Amino acid sequence: MRRIVFLILLLPSVCLAADVELQLSIRNHRFEPAELHVPAGKRIKLTVINRDPAAEEFESYELHREKLIPGNTSGTIYIGPLEPGRYPFFGDFHPKTTTGVIIAE
Amino acid sequence: MKRGIIFVVGAVALTLSRLCAAGPADYVYTPAVEYGEREIDFKAGRANTHDADQNSAASLGFGYGAKPHWFTEFYAKYESQGAGATHFDAWEWENKFQLTETGEYPVDAGFVVELERPQDHSEGYEVRFGPLFQTEFGKVQLNGNLLFERYYRASTTEPMQFGYQWQAKYRWAEAFEFGLQGFGDVGPWDSWDPADQQSHRFGPAVFGKLPVGVHKAIRYNAALLLKASSGAPNSTFRMQIEYEF
Repeated sequence: MRRIVFLILLLPSVCLAADVELQLSIRNHRFEPAELHVPAGKRIKLTVINRDPAAEEFESYELHREKLIPGNTSGTIYIGPLEPGRYPFFGDFHPKTTTGVIIAE
Repeated sequence: MKRGIIFVVGAVALTLSRLCAAGPADYVYTPAVEYGEREIDFKAGRANTHDADQNSAASLGFGYGAKPHWFTEFYAKYESQGAGATHFDAWEWENKFQLTETGEYPVDAGFVVELERPQDHSEGYEVRFGPLFQTEFGKVQLNGNLLFERYYRASTTEPMQFGYQWQAKYRWAEAFEFGLQGFGDVGPWDSWDPADQQSHRFGPAVFGKLPVGVHKAIRYNAALLLKASSGAPNSTFRMQIEYEF
């Protein structure tokens, strides 16, 4: 039993680096760029830089990610590998203006 | 708007707490922490036991994502057994730690630590802790948790107990997802009970999130757990509703 627990605890330490690194900014409650093209089937490290003084939350049901980015800070979001398609995301505090989409192709 | 939602959630919670309950703490933990999020959390369940008796329980709590990798929640727990009236059972303080960034590794990891102070002080303090795991395959999300439980300063001494919980869900739509959940208790962690005394339960589950405003949502999940071993209740219904803001 103890061995099983130990092996399960080790599972997350299996490291896989992201294949693609991208940056996304938030300025005046808008994502820049609002459209990101990424290769399908790759692991992506997305750095979100919030250049507004107010906090924003990156959210996407399609990507299954939610992350709060406090004002004037940045955060890292890991996504993928993605099937080809469109994956919309938005800022949960300003959902009308802070919108964007990742296109996997 | 906010007061109206809180009123509706509270009314539903109070109604359901009379209808159902059983091990309100028996919900499946997930390793991710939502920093800055506050939530009012209601859980309830009812177990139909071997002798056609019913045990039920409910809890109401407030939680907060205090740090990017730390979520803390404080509960009041209630229970009733058989035809007895519902009564206050315990205070509970839950702390969840996110150990890896979601999606960074093939398996996301977290850790939960709960401290419970039963109303019956002869039970001492209950400590429950263990690692939490999650992974995804497309729209399928899998969770598996190992939980250890022990009483301290209790009038009787018992060895640390071991249990587990798991779920598999298909992320069909944000408002409605479906899958399976399972819970088990095997006895002392280093010397499991005989199979006929262990408790294993699993059954269908539903999940969902309903946005109700800017950065506000109601999240729910419920499951009907069926007996999978002779030491388990015949059936258990459990549910959780959270108002996130």
